[in-house]
Amino acid sequence: MALAFRLQKSPMPGFGLGMGITLAMLSLIVILPVGALLARGISYGPEAVWATINTPRVWAALYLSFRLAFLAALFNLVFGTLLAWVLARYDFPGRRLVDALVDLPFALPTAVAGIALTALYAPNGIFGGIARDLGGKIAYTQWGILIALIFVGLPFVTRTVQPVIAEIEQEVEEASATLGAGRFHTLRRVILPMLLPAALTGFALSLARAVGEYGSVIFIAGNLPMKTEIAPLLIVIKLEEFDYDGAAAIGIAMLLISFSMLLAINLIQIWSRRRIGHV
Amino acid sequence: MHIEIDEIAKSFGSTTALHPVSLAIPSGALVALLGPSGSGKTTLLRILGGLEFPTSGRVLFDGQDATGLSVQERRAGFVFQSYALFRHMTVFENIAYGLRARPRRTRPPQAEIERRVTRLLELIQLPQIAKRFPSQLSGGQRQRVALARALAIEPRMLLLDEPFGALDARVRKELRQGLREIHDSTGLTTVFVTHDQDEAMELADLVVVMSMGRIEQVGRPQDIRARPATPFVREFIET
Amino acid sequence: MFDDALHPTPATAGRPAKWRPATEESRLTRILLIAAALGGLAILVVAPLAVVFAEALARGAAQAVTSLTRPEATSAIRLTLIVAAISVPVNAVFGIAAAWTITKFDFRGKAFLITLIDLPFSISPVVAGLALVLLFGTNSLIGGWLVASGFPIIFALPGIVLASIFVTFPFVARELIPVMIEQGRAEEEAALTLGASGWRAFLTVTLPNIKWALLYGVLLCNARAMGEFGAVAVVSGKIRGQTATMPITIEMLYNEYLSVAAFSLAAVLAALGLLTLALKTLLEWRHADQLAAGRRH
Repeated sequence: MALAFRLQKSPMPGFGLGMGITLAMLSLIVILPVGALLARGISYGPEAVWATINTPRVWAALYLSFRLAFLAALFNLVFGTLLAWVLARYDFPGRRLVDALVDLPFALPTAVAGIALTALYAPNGIFGGIARDLGGKIAYTQWGILIALIFVGLPFVTRTVQPVIAEIEQEVEEASATLGAGRFHTLRRVILPMLLPAALTGFALSLARAVGEYGSVIFIAGNLPMKTEIAPLLIVIKLEEFDYDGAAAIGIAMLLISFSMLLAINLIQIWSRRRIGHV
Repeated sequence: MHIEIDEIAKSFGSTTALHPVSLAIPSGALVALLGPSGSGKTTLLRILGGLEFPTSGRVLFDGQDATGLSVQERRAGFVFQSYALFRHMTVFENIAYGLRARPRRTRPPQAEIERRVTRLLELIQLPQIAKRFPSQLSGGQRQRVALARALAIEPRMLLLDEPFGALDARVRKELRQGLREIHDSTGLTTVFVTHDQDEAMELADLVVVMSMGRIEQVGRPQDIRARPATPFVREFIET
Repeated sequence: MFDDALHPTPATAGRPAKWRPATEESRLTRILLIAAALGGLAILVVAPLAVVFAEALARGAAQAVTSLTRPEATSAIRLTLIVAAISVPVNAVFGIAAAWTITKFDFRGKAFLITLIDLPFSISPVVAGLALVLLFGTNSLIGGWLVASGFPIIFALPGIVLASIFVTFPFVARELIPVMIEQGRAEEEAALTLGASGWRAFLTVTLPNIKWALLYGVLLCNARAMGEFGAVAVVSGKIRGQTATMPITIEMLYNEYLSVAAFSLAAVLAALGLLTLALKTLLEWRHADQLAAGRRH
């Protein structure tokens, strides 16, 4: 490992100590545990791992987690961009307070968010009551999960897009207008394409967070197998049954999903850098 | 197109950018607004282009009041100091932008757009760069693309804000000649802003010297050089 | 320049209704967009926050306070404080070491190292907990030996600390790296040429330059460490009075229909979150030039 990070000559001291702490911590906290997870999968055998994943209940949970995370990220893509635009461009009373509030989902523990959302959207809650009067149900259905996933991923798109909006040169928008484009045409053809790479990055971050989310979801989900059971919950259930192999199999599946999303984020950034010079 | 500026004034909050100024620009002229920074020349140009609204006064195009016309309605080809090219579009898409932004009724068909963009690329002597992105161009190339993009909308006049400001001396000389040629071949009334008196004197038919939000002198380059009207003008053209 | 978005200044008030600056939307559009943003935020973010306090105080403040003095509440608060007191400094030291190594030296594989440090952000907390259980659990090689030597990790404090460090792993390093890249190496090099030792250069030159960014990272790290649920739920075993942190205790109380007790404990965490948010915002206003936030893109 140390050979891989070989140093070029430098007069600065502390490389050995810094790299030592970094690698020791990385190994203990990240590499060894993730390695143990993968090793467990290998010792369990690829066929057995596949057999565990390839059951209706696991597929239903993975599909549910991914589908709802995707929908939540999509909502956050649109609403987060809108929010970023309003915060970056308009002045209104309390703008700075609102700006700070956007980060609340990052600061509020997921379990707290979970019980709060359940209290709001359960049939005897404020919003749940409205839904019940209209003949619908939110908590303990997929709608409830969707709302929890929207909550935890809300700040990502806004926080990636907002600085990009602030950096748009006024002259670019003016140029579009002098060429005859109306404001809506300018928004659609000039501004949104400039925001796209950042918005997609925020979308992917929001998606990655939502796929693995647990704390805010389990309270509101109802946790019915095949219907409202998310993938992370299946891991917890397997562990409670002391089925470590089964838990590891699902864990590896989720790890692969995470890695592919990490890859997607990096590809988006490479793509946009190549296209417009810098992000 | 004949442009008339009638008692135009502009203030931003408590600072006055332009005291009431009046100026007549004959059709087909190549005019330089010359002055140091803060003289109000860019504000005046932006008012002509419809990017700022004057605090008082009127702008007349061919004798008709154009003060209330929106930017889009003015059809002024505007070249910005930073060029303001769209980074995510190719050179072709940049130049075609104004044509494609037209409402469906008046939008030319695709073949016509391609023909016009190709012709403009030939006019600016860069026929081979249509597929490149702005980040892949040199400063001089970007400036010429910005000019072509402004010309594509068949503007009624051409407005340029420090068109050569961001270029090195050699490219600057070359492009000055290019602007002169384009002006002469299109016959468009052209107004450009500059702080470089050599540039103004060499290129323009008519030079408008400005300072502190006022017009100090209007005249042909040789007249201004021979008979500076105020001490400011004398000092400014000497340095 | 957008200050007059809603209140036109007198200079622009007299212009005809038709004329509008090229970079502005119509007044109606602006109002609709602001209303949509504020309305959405009120429903999605403010309402859940408000309901935490409302539910905690549903039977009066006295009962809420009493519920916080129950033994399971006090032991949860104590455990959470202990976990944060260990994991946050560990992460701060790691973050400084990693940022120092990455920004002050050139070596091959730097990008890969940064990716590894960022990895915990994209791993589900439950998977993180599972990975720790598989490495240190009783039926693993290391775990079995540790339990035999009387130092269990899973279902005990060390496991909770490890899980908390895992989920907050990149916070400090991520905050420091951009700031230290921007500050370059010249100042430290100057200190070294003036005869300062490496430690002295770090303490007198580097640390003062990064203190606000460090505090910012530590704040975020602390909030997450105190509030982590998924990873801790897996490794803690949820033993009441022993390994139940505040979020875990909230779940237990909630599942036992002890609503006031659950929400009172949740209100404490929510207040902590608000405090974090306030401090973080204050740092962003006062020391924006010394933080990485806002110039990430």
